[in-house]
Amino acid sequence: MADRALEGARVLDLTHQVAGPYCTKLLADFGADVVKVEPTKGDAARRFAPFYRDEAHPDKSLLFAYLNTSKKGVTLNLKTATGKSLLERMVGEADILVENFAPRVMEGLGLGYQALRAINPALVMVSISNFGQQGPYRDYKAADIVHYALGGLMYIIGSADREPLKHALRQTQFKAGTNAATAALIGWHHARYTGQGQHIDVSIQECVASALRDTTSLYTYAGSVRQRQPAHTGDMPRSPVATADGYIVPIHFGGAVDWDAAADFLGEPSLREERFATAESRADNAEGLQAALEAGMLRWRKFELMREAHKRRGHIYGVVHSPAEALASEQYNARGYFADIEHPAFGRARYPGAPFIMSKTPWQAASAAPELGQHNRDIYCGRLGLSPDELGALTAAGVV
Amino acid sequence: MRLPLTGIRIVEMGQLIAIPHAIKLLGDMGAEVIRIESCGRLDNYRTHSLYENSTYGRHWDRAANFYEQNRNKRSLTLDLTNERCIGALRDLVSISDVFAENFTPRVMRNFGLEYDDLRKVKPDIIMASSTGYGYTGPWSDYGAIGFTTEATSGLAHITGYRDGPPVLPEIPYADYTAAEHTAFAIMAALAHRARTGEGQFIDVSQSETLTSTIPEAMLDWSVNGRIADRMGNADGVMSPHGCYPCKGRDRWIAIAVGTDAEWQGLCAALGKPEWASDGRFADEGARWEHRDALDALVGAATVGWEQGPLQDALQAAGVAAGAVLDGKGLLFDEHLRARGFYEVARHSEITGMPPLPYTSRPWRFSETPGGLRSAAPTLGRDNWYALGEMLGMGDAEVGALEEAGAIGTQPASGRAPRVVGVEEQIRRGLIISNDGDYRERVREAYGDG
Repeated sequence: MADRALEGARVLDLTHQVAGPYCTKLLADFGADVVKVEPTKGDAARRFAPFYRDEAHPDKSLLFAYLNTSKKGVTLNLKTATGKSLLERMVGEADILVENFAPRVMEGLGLGYQALRAINPALVMVSISNFGQQGPYRDYKAADIVHYALGGLMYIIGSADREPLKHALRQTQFKAGTNAATAALIGWHHARYTGQGQHIDVSIQECVASALRDTTSLYTYAGSVRQRQPAHTGDMPRSPVATADGYIVPIHFGGAVDWDAAADFLGEPSLREERFATAESRADNAEGLQAALEAGMLRWRKFELMREAHKRRGHIYGVVHSPAEALASEQYNARGYFADIEHPAFGRARYPGAPFIMSKTPWQAASAAPELGQHNRDIYCGRLGLSPDELGALTAAGVV
Repeated sequence: MRLPLTGIRIVEMGQLIAIPHAIKLLGDMGAEVIRIESCGRLDNYRTHSLYENSTYGRHWDRAANFYEQNRNKRSLTLDLTNERCIGALRDLVSISDVFAENFTPRVMRNFGLEYDDLRKVKPDIIMASSTGYGYTGPWSDYGAIGFTTEATSGLAHITGYRDGPPVLPEIPYADYTAAEHTAFAIMAALAHRARTGEGQFIDVSQSETLTSTIPEAMLDWSVNGRIADRMGNADGVMSPHGCYPCKGRDRWIAIAVGTDAEWQGLCAALGKPEWASDGRFADEGARWEHRDALDALVGAATVGWEQGPLQDALQAAGVAAGAVLDGKGLLFDEHLRARGFYEVARHSEITGMPPLPYTSRPWRFSETPGGLRSAAPTLGRDNWYALGEMLGMGDAEVGALEEAGAIGTQPASGRAPRVVGVEEQIRRGLIISNDGDYRERVREAYGDG
């Protein structure tokens, strides 16, 4: 196996569901030693769909399988004194601890930052939570859709004449996981040079709100509030437009659209009509312009349109890939993006692979997601020095 | 105070978001950043969202999009068609840790600024290239922006109203996902360099990073051969789960109900005890089965409420709910303000802009907070510093470059960007509203920094 970038980093992973596990997956797939500590009933994500062939089994959640590659898995009941003391021993050996319990849960277990720092002053503790560790919304409940709302992203997705939309699936969780992973490495970088650890507070709401370009500065600069897109803009749409076999996003970049050239390119002469001659007249005839563009695009097949567009300056059209098309994409496959991973419970499957390519230290899913408690013996006996009998007793007592 | 990335020097040849935002995250935490700009080919974001929506004076130094991504950075303009300027850029790389760029590979090839060129001047350089579809492969020279890479990632296909077309946000969302992964990648490469002394090349495909965040959809296809339909705001398990109208123009609230306890809380908070005993809504499965009927009922109830009080009432009843905040709502949100999420920057006098609040970063460090140290630079502000102080070029030589127009502080083209008036923006639906007294409101809330 090639050397990976984070070899030597020791990560104690107390995360569950999605945001925390994506953070530690990034660390693990790039080489950190990640020990995932699950409660004895398992991470809730083991019960998240989709499942392999819809078999709702704790080792067959495809989301869980994706999020927990390259990690070692142990079980531990943190509410027992023995469980807590085992965890404290692991804290002493860790560089980074990541958790995504609700604020105050770690504190309640006697495992707040001050307690952990007393054990290991260089520890970087990363806490991911809905609204952060302080502030008036700290204890508010959330779901992905609530983060879209309070993070400001939802207001600008969808049609102006309809309700705001969220993206499909769980984008805010992945955003938080990525930012938390970066923060963990920044904290670790500092700790290696100075010996100083710290507590890092990652708010999912802020992860959304920090990625909105000029949404707030449009107000501070000009008093304006942006909303969702009108059905017809009087300009080249930024939204997907139907072609003969799917959708395309027809971006003309680098200044105003040359409408005569667009008419020639799309083969739609009506775009040259007098009523579309100026910005003002296009705005007045926005619906007609949209109809003319749609008629032009419908003459094309989407991949052919994308290829032809890219031969022209500033025409950076992009096709809408279905998941099936992305999986079959010539570009993705030329780069070896997808990874085939063997899982003991459901065999070989094709996963999204390296999120980016590192030339010297390539990404690698070194192992499939652990079954519940798969590495109890490796970690508790191999690393912490418990005897098999002691481990047996802890198992019987429900600690592991 | 020593910040975590104090001592790390980054040369950024970035534009728009994908690289500038990644480097902003690292700059906030102490990295020294020198941004390479061009007077001949201005960063597109110096031409957008201008202060007071007006092109007077040095408009290229008054663009919100630029200021949001480029705080804490220095600006050095270089005409890269000039040999001496390319030489200066290579010299700068030779004293830096990271070189980050988001042009197409063709541009970097033409300038002789690929990884294999730069490792000759700095063997342990870390170079990060962020491109729409990746540095290699048949699409590598395709230009892209966040709207097209969100389309190719697979995310757009599954996002949208039920029975409607795929939908994209109003901002280039995919660029941020790429930027967040790029910042992580650079930190991982720095960790490897600290351990081994070895630099490397990081190749980010903006499309692929986003695909990495939709594993449910990708694996459901690759394993089960299934692709979910677009389903608006509906959830696969929870109901009610959606965005419901409130009192006022374009005011909404997002609500997500999972457990029976949350459902009882919703019924109580909305004053609808009869729903709680309605057999159609008896448990999670039944509620999901009748989700359309339930959505209509909930929407009819929420529309009589103001957004904020309803959020608080629902949260008090243990229900996950949040006001759908617009840009103004975010800026004045009590929670974000209490956490100091927006940070005030003072601007150079030549911009004529007062101190203004800007978006900060997605983390809070307890011991070394980092943050905004200086506003984004005016164009070419640090030409003399970078060439003279950092590279040791003599005054005469820097002066000659300036004389020749190879470096400068204003765009080569005198043309001002076209600005659409506020009234016209409202008419076209580009914005929904405009407050004439925004300067006072912002100053009152955020002061002068």
